[in-house]
Amino acid sequence: MSGSTLSPGKRTGLVLLAALLGFAVLGPWVVDADPARQVLAHSLAAPGAEYLLGTDHLGRSMLARMAHATRLSLLLAAVTVLSAAVPGTLLGVMAAWRGGWAESGLVLLADAVLALPSLLLVLLLVAFAPGDFLPLYLGLALVGWVEYFRVSRALTRGILAKPHVEAARLLGFGRGYVLRRLILPELLPALSTLATFGLGGAVLAISTLSFVGLGIRPPVAELGSMTTELLPHAYEAPLTVLMPAALVLMAVLGCHLLVGRGAR
Amino acid sequence: MDTLAISGLRIEASGMPLVRGVDAVAGPGRPLTLLGETGSGKSLVLGAATGTLPPRLRVTGRVLLDGTDILAAPPRARRGLWGRRLAMLPQEPWLSLDPTMRALGQVAEVYRLIRGLPATKSEEEARGRLAELGLEGAAGLYPFQMSGGMAQRLALAILRASEAPVLFADEPTKGLDADRRDEAGARLRLEADRGRTVVCVTHDVAIARALRGTVAVMLDGEVVEQGPAEAVLDYPAHEYTRRLLDAEPERWPSLPGRAAPRGEVVVSGDGLHRAFGGRPVLRGVDLSVRRGEVVAITGPSGCGKTTLGDLLLGLLAPDAGTVRRLPGVESWRFGKLYQDPPSAFVPHQTMRQALEDLSKRHGVAWNVVAPLLQRLRLSTTLLDRVPAALSGGELQRFALVRVLMLDPVFLLADEPTSRLDPLTQQEVLLLLSELAGERGMGVLIVTHDLELASKLADRTIHLEAGRFASSDVSVSRGRHPTLAEPFGTLTRGQ
Repeated sequence: MSGSTLSPGKRTGLVLLAALLGFAVLGPWVVDADPARQVLAHSLAAPGAEYLLGTDHLGRSMLARMAHATRLSLLLAAVTVLSAAVPGTLLGVMAAWRGGWAESGLVLLADAVLALPSLLLVLLLVAFAPGDFLPLYLGLALVGWVEYFRVSRALTRGILAKPHVEAARLLGFGRGYVLRRLILPELLPALSTLATFGLGGAVLAISTLSFVGLGIRPPVAELGSMTTELLPHAYEAPLTVLMPAALVLMAVLGCHLLVGRGAR
Repeated sequence: MDTLAISGLRIEASGMPLVRGVDAVAGPGRPLTLLGETGSGKSLVLGAATGTLPPRLRVTGRVLLDGTDILAAPPRARRGLWGRRLAMLPQEPWLSLDPTMRALGQVAEVYRLIRGLPATKSEEEARGRLAELGLEGAAGLYPFQMSGGMAQRLALAILRASEAPVLFADEPTKGLDADRRDEAGARLRLEADRGRTVVCVTHDVAIARALRGTVAVMLDGEVVEQGPAEAVLDYPAHEYTRRLLDAEPERWPSLPGRAAPRGEVVVSGDGLHRAFGGRPVLRGVDLSVRRGEVVAITGPSGCGKTTLGDLLLGLLAPDAGTVRRLPGVESWRFGKLYQDPPSAFVPHQTMRQALEDLSKRHGVAWNVVAPLLQRLRLSTTLLDRVPAALSGGELQRFALVRVLMLDPVFLLADEPTSRLDPLTQQEVLLLLSELAGERGMGVLIVTHDLELASKLADRTIHLEAGRFASSDVSVSRGRHPTLAEPFGTLTRGQ
């Protein structure tokens, strides 16, 4: 797939994600306002010269808060996806390769995690683990590894059964070579698809949990918790509720459009 | 009635002509066989006639079905012809049958959906078609429970159900055992005798012979010779046709001109037993291969010949019996050639990467590689290609290069040419036989082609149902053609 032959859908996805990423990286740096600074006299100000996107009910700059929130969401989502993908993939390859009790045990564990409602796991962790970030991150990663495990195990089984793997072993190549040169490159397209979907999913999950008050709590700017905070003022200042929600939509839509229907 | 005429057919890809001016006619009882190798354009002609070419190819000329140009017809009108006027026997039909549907249902749905019969009547008719082809016992089987020959008969039953007068067949013998191939040819001829118009595309001369009718020999996108099968196949006028015919194993001169191999035994098996899932596949087989010796194992599908090879290489462990390999020789000097060359290479790796990795792994100097490539007549420009961009014959020769880089003492060749064109098959096998003598390497070739085995091997072992059935020693002392002139020195067999 070369850059010039991207379908319109993929191009749109790429633009959405690039815009979001730019906002997350540059936003907090360009917008020279403290997302936590309250100016109660300016609460729920309309977008204008002083506040480009207006203010919330406590008179905090929406632009600054959204930039920080986007950065937080994307960063946390990326870390979550990586923490799920890397162990999930390695365990999947290992299970396919070793077979026997190691594989049966891991498959059983994966099925058990799948059988458990993921929200329940996160709730449990939130109840026991301290802080805002850690339980959220742990919960999402502990649930997320399963799909990488299942996909990489299934694909690896197929690859290992192919004659070219047998041929490589007969030619004297070791396990490391087979893993590096034969298996991982063939897993990559499927894994990057999964990870892109996973990124969108993680952004949505983080904001959903924060929206119901289980994730990141105010005063930290987070897209979900911002929506919750501003919901009572939805009639006076509908934009303040819609804008954070629109950013979540952009992230999820961007990821899904980028992957598109063709998995590669 | 029901004649299919191709006239002035030309196919281009971005200005490059792939097929130039093909004219041919097929009629009821007068089949047409397009004979040629991979890349000769025969499949493109079939694609144009069936309307399955990718849109980027520009097709000009005419394909007339009873005088109506179906090439110019809109796709919708063409689709209407399928199953009613036109039908197709696909390549390797077991891949095209519905894997989730039993045999009876696949035939019955033609009656129900295309010919509009009620369900019970459809089943009754379908049973009739299956019985005609000796499949009455297979009505309840799924395609994956069938052998290749059965799957092909099921595909034929579906075609008969459609009663479409024009029948296209694409490489009908591909992937079938030798004895099944003759059957496939005879069945197609029977369809022609029943008054159907058969158009067959193949590289298999035997099929062309069995079908009779008209043969058109294709080379580089052109028909180089065309006429009645008897004339073209018995008195070929074109040089290429002659080479194609001479590449049939029964026409090969006897190869082993070598002295009887007296080298040390490189690998041997004694009393080998092996079962899969409780079903015994090998039941006590002894075999040894010496340096420089070419041994062939033949036998019907499922007789255990591939299993025997894998046991000798150590890819499988025997349930009973012992395998002895030449002591002090590294495991990688026992090599293997695969049946399907593309599958034996890493799909995303260029040949250069593959060979460089190998030379690094074993400390083989790169300057060993260049002469090998030359010896196997592989251009260095091919090095930067991935397997998908190489032909089967080129890949099989690259597979030989990578085995030879490690100075092998033994090579297992598992049906190494069953997926290659006849000319390529001849070339690869001649090379293999020469290299065995040159390099003092023992070669065990697994094949179901008796003719080929007797021409190529010093010794042929027949297996039947996992047991040693008989063995022959080739006594013929023909002239060994040299590689510089791989085909030129061959004389016509008749």
